[in-house]
Amino acid sequence: MKLMVRSNEWISNRQWDMSPVPQALILELLNHAVWAPNHRNREPWRFIYISRNNTGGLDFIQAQAPGYLIITMNNENDANKQNENLAAVFCLIQNFRLLAWEQKLGANVCFYEWMYDRRNCQQLGVMDKERIVAVLEVGFCNESSAVVPTSSAAVLNWRSL
Amino acid sequence: MQLEQLIRERRSIRKYNNLPVSQDLIIKLLQQAERLCSYDGEARWRYVYVGTPEARERLADYMVEKLQDNKIVKLVLSKVTDALHKRVLEVPASLIVIAKTDSNPIIHDQTYGAVCRIMQNLQLLGWEERIGMVWITDPMIQNERFYKRIGLQEGERFVGIVQMGYFDKAPKGRSRTPAERNWTEFVWNER
Repeated sequence: MKLMVRSNEWISNRQWDMSPVPQALILELLNHAVWAPNHRNREPWRFIYISRNNTGGLDFIQAQAPGYLIITMNNENDANKQNENLAAVFCLIQNFRLLAWEQKLGANVCFYEWMYDRRNCQQLGVMDKERIVAVLEVGFCNESSAVVPTSSAAVLNWRSL
Repeated sequence: MQLEQLIRERRSIRKYNNLPVSQDLIIKLLQQAERLCSYDGEARWRYVYVGTPEARERLADYMVEKLQDNKIVKLVLSKVTDALHKRVLEVPASLIVIAKTDSNPIIHDQTYGAVCRIMQNLQLLGWEERIGMVWITDPMIQNERFYKRIGLQEGERFVGIVQMGYFDKAPKGRSRTPAERNWTEFVWNER
C-alpha cells in the first residue's frame, strides 16, 4: 500500500500485548531503517536494547513496555553537525516506526529527564562522546487497542516567501 | 512499492528536470507527512514555501548574500557564487522549515524530533510521486542575515531547506553499516 493512502492508526498505540519482541525482528527493521538520509554518511547512531525482564537494576525505567530501544548518537563539537546528526537519527527513528507498524509493532518515541543525566547514561553504557536521542518503547499491539486518530486533515502552518 | 524498498531506494536528489512541481501536491504530501508522524500536542513548526519564479529568485539572492559580503569572495569567487545562485534558481520548489525552540530540553528535542520525522515522511512520500528531494543545512546559509531574510522570529530555529523537483537520474546509494555492528543488548546481572 502506498504511504500516501495509509492511515496512522497503529502508530499511536498505548496498550501493549506483553509478549516479548524478537530481537531478530528489531534488527531486521533497523537494517532497513539505516537507509535514512544522513550527512556525509556519518551514520551517527547506535542502538541499546533492553527487554522488560532486564530492566531490574534500572530504577529510572518504568518497565511498562515489552522492550526499550534506546537510540544514541555521536556528539559533534560543531553545532551545525550536531543538528545534522540529530536530524539523521530522527529520520532513522521515523523509518523504524513506519516499518514496525507494518508488523503490528508499536514504537512510541519517548523523551525522559533521565536521558539527560550522565549517571544514567553511564549505567546504560552510553559513552561520554554520545548522547541518548530518544527511547523507543516497543511492543506488539492488540488490534482492539490501536488508537484511531480523531484529527482529520492537518492544517499546515504555511506561507509563501 | 513495498515500504522497505521505498526506504532503501530513496535517494537525496540535487539535480532536477524542468517539470513544474504543483504546490497543491506538496501541500497534500505534507499533510500526510504530518499525519504519519503522530506527535503529541500542537504543531510547533511552520513552513515557508518557495515556488514562484519571483520567490525562487529572492531565495537564491538570500542564500548567496552573505558570501558576497566578503570582498575577497566577491573578487576571487564571483564565478562560484554566480554558479551557486544559478543552481539555487534552478530548483523547482523549496520548503523552508522553521521550528520553535524551548528552554525545556525535552520539549526542545521533541519538537525538533517531530519536525525531522515529518521531513523524512515527506521525502518518502515525494519519492512515491517521483519527486526527488534533498534536505540542506549548509553552513553558508546558517547566519543571522539569512535568518532575518526568511523571517525567523525570536524563539524559533531554522531546521533546513528541503529542495524538491522531478528528476531523470538518481545517484547510487552509499552502503550502510549493518545494524548488528551498532547493537548492544543490555543485560542486568544481579551481583
